[in-house]
Amino acid sequence: MSRIFGIDLGTTNSLIALLEGKTPRVIPDPASANALLPSVVALVPDGAVFVGDSAIEMEPRLALKPDSQVSGPGPHRGEAGAVVRSVKRYMGLGGDEVSPEDRRRYAFTDFAGPVVRFRVGERSYTPAQISAEILKALKRRAEAALPDEKVDRVVITVPAYFNDGQRQATKDAGRLAGLEVVRLVNEPTAASLAYGLNQMAEGKVAVYDFGGGTFDVSILNIKGGIFEVLATNGDTHLGGDEIDRAVADWLLEEAPDSVRDRRAWNSARLVAEDAKKRLTQANSVELRLDLEGGRRIARVLTRADLERMASPFVERTLACCGRALEDAMLRASEVDAVVLVGGSTRMPIVRRRVEEFFGRRPLCSLDPDQVVALGAAVQAGVLMGSHGDMLLLDVVPLSLGIETMGGVMERVIHRNTTIPTSAAENFTTAVDNQTHVDIHVLQGERELANDCRSLARFKLGPIEPQPAGLPRIEVTFLIDANGILNVTARDQRTGREHSVDVKPSYGLTDEEIERMLEESIDLGEQDLERRLLITTRNEADQILTALGKQLKEYGELVAADERRRIEETSSQLEAARRGDDRELIGRLVEELNEITTPFAERIMDHAIKIALQKKSIEELS
Amino acid sequence: MVQCPSCARLIKPAITCPGCGAPVGSELDCFAALGLPPRLQIDTVRLEQAYHDLGRRIHPDRFASSPVRLRQASLRATALLTRAYRTLRDPVARGLYTLELNGVKLAENNKNVPPDLAELVFEVQEQLADLNAERSRGGEAARGLNAEVTARRAELQRTMDGLMDELNALFARIDANDTAARDDLYAELKAILSKIAYMRTLIRDVDKELDLTRAA
Repeated sequence: MSRIFGIDLGTTNSLIALLEGKTPRVIPDPASANALLPSVVALVPDGAVFVGDSAIEMEPRLALKPDSQVSGPGPHRGEAGAVVRSVKRYMGLGGDEVSPEDRRRYAFTDFAGPVVRFRVGERSYTPAQISAEILKALKRRAEAALPDEKVDRVVITVPAYFNDGQRQATKDAGRLAGLEVVRLVNEPTAASLAYGLNQMAEGKVAVYDFGGGTFDVSILNIKGGIFEVLATNGDTHLGGDEIDRAVADWLLEEAPDSVRDRRAWNSARLVAEDAKKRLTQANSVELRLDLEGGRRIARVLTRADLERMASPFVERTLACCGRALEDAMLRASEVDAVVLVGGSTRMPIVRRRVEEFFGRRPLCSLDPDQVVALGAAVQAGVLMGSHGDMLLLDVVPLSLGIETMGGVMERVIHRNTTIPTSAAENFTTAVDNQTHVDIHVLQGERELANDCRSLARFKLGPIEPQPAGLPRIEVTFLIDANGILNVTARDQRTGREHSVDVKPSYGLTDEEIERMLEESIDLGEQDLERRLLITTRNEADQILTALGKQLKEYGELVAADERRRIEETSSQLEAARRGDDRELIGRLVEELNEITTPFAERIMDHAIKIALQKKSIEELS
Repeated sequence: MVQCPSCARLIKPAITCPGCGAPVGSELDCFAALGLPPRLQIDTVRLEQAYHDLGRRIHPDRFASSPVRLRQASLRATALLTRAYRTLRDPVARGLYTLELNGVKLAENNKNVPPDLAELVFEVQEQLADLNAERSRGGEAARGLNAEVTARRAELQRTMDGLMDELNALFARIDANDTAARDDLYAELKAILSKIAYMRTLIRDVDKELDLTRAA
């Protein structure tokens, strides 16, 4: 199996890391040696896409007027293009879920429908597709650094407070980039893994992760290599972006209305971000903003001014910390260590307030921009079996429930439950001969279904017509180790599995992703074929191994001609699995499955008979 | 009988295969899932040890590159294990689960105050309301009221500790009795669990009010 890489798909910057021996290391850009890939994507109408520094270089040409014609020189003269930053803010959201601020950001965005779409010329891109371009750029970076290795399996980090839809969208992005997302890991938890490797003392640890677009806090108990998350809290739209926007608003305060357009806002934001960074060292800086028509704004910003503007956001992060502590049933003074993660924790006000809140000096020995990617690489190591003693036990950040009569949210799985976890609920019919039951799955902490986020709807059935209340269908809600929901249903009377066709309320359906994959003219296609081949080969191995054991143990249960046929097909499959013909392997697996079914049934009968005999002997004695 | 997803042996329902150790993930009760005897008195250190040992072996992280069948068994087994651990870790949840396992019906949404706690609950709620009102007003008396509530908090904790001791003693009595003679003890267990649940809520309310006062 190929190596698994760790990816931090950030709001502002993205990174890819790998494990060398037992030490995680970020792979820098071969040309610039820069570890961070700016999460900036330039979309050009002919379908060309630029990521990172090259996208930023494109910006003056494309984003001069983001929603109209490009007038500058260059290869795309006269065409409209777009530069998208902070695409993570739109991941997995329905148009109606995007905040007014984020709607204002881009004119070329379509907010109708269950997925946000960025329109460029004749094309439109979903946030998952744009994120996939960032992932592809990271993949190319790793491939360039390690020419002998395949880069096709990854761990991707997500904010701990991401809901099911946002997680699903991140997985979709991986798929669209031709990557198998082996695991999604929560960012603060990943950071704790990176610190844990550095022999951080065991005990209760709070990870405070304040990034470009999101805030997370996780409280962990670390003991004997087990990283157990006790509680997590956060806000997926609370980051350095919010502070930049406040500063940008202040900068444009005195500008005449006529120049306060989208372009001015976006430029002001960049100037604000730069000033904020400089104020980490300096006590005051001058901000200059060139506007259209040769107008210029210049204002001086002191650190005290900045802190006054940032303060409400910092206080909101501390309120999240309070809620996480409450859920973990701990007081701030009981926390043994506090770890700072994310670029926004470079701000002095953040460090000061966190120290005051927890009553102890926070740790920041690892680069706050890199620590999450390093942790993702450690988790990749755990998944590859190279850190056998470490284990991560994460939690689901938001409660999951179903809508009951009267629009009330009934919790099925409570927030901060360790994952993977499952819960079963029984459903029945309300009227005679009802053949379907509609189920609405929700995520959130509010009492009313309307105030929670709609996650999916599905129909149970077809149910055999019976009087109302008689059918008993057990639905199992399982949240996997990625924090993503899987639903299965089963008729309690017949034991029959029901098909559950879950329609996500937001986000992309499987068919849409398949179509996007088909449409993308990319090397990714080859990768996909390769992955499917590997999966099919694994299936072949599995059936061949099991069959070999069964023939050895229960050989007397097979007739001679039956054995001949089984062995013939087996050896055909053995030969095929060494080749590359996926369809042939798949066909033979199915064939072998079919001809061995009677044998398997006989084994089962035999075992039951033996068990019964044993039981009757026990009863006699 | 079930089939092990890894070695294909036919085995009794289990969390892990006794032959090859692979996760199986059959539906078992919480005690069996953790390989513990069905007793109410549990050594929490041993419980955590069992959870971590099993978790390390069957967690999906250990099967990232395994065939689908094994990955799914690992997911099922770990979900079950986690649920079992959470249930048994907390004495109250453990008690409630044992009642459920033995077919003792619990009244749904029982919001009634246990009679011998009624007076205490009434007093505390009145105190909290006074403190809240005085604080909102920014009144002088808030400090004194706060001291009163803080003293009350300590008293509640003592009551709670007493109830937990009582619960543990009852656990021991139930474990010592044989199954047939347990019905009266289960009724006793039901009553004390309801009291503890009520006290927990009350203490949480007091802590919340004290935290608000501290922040003001």
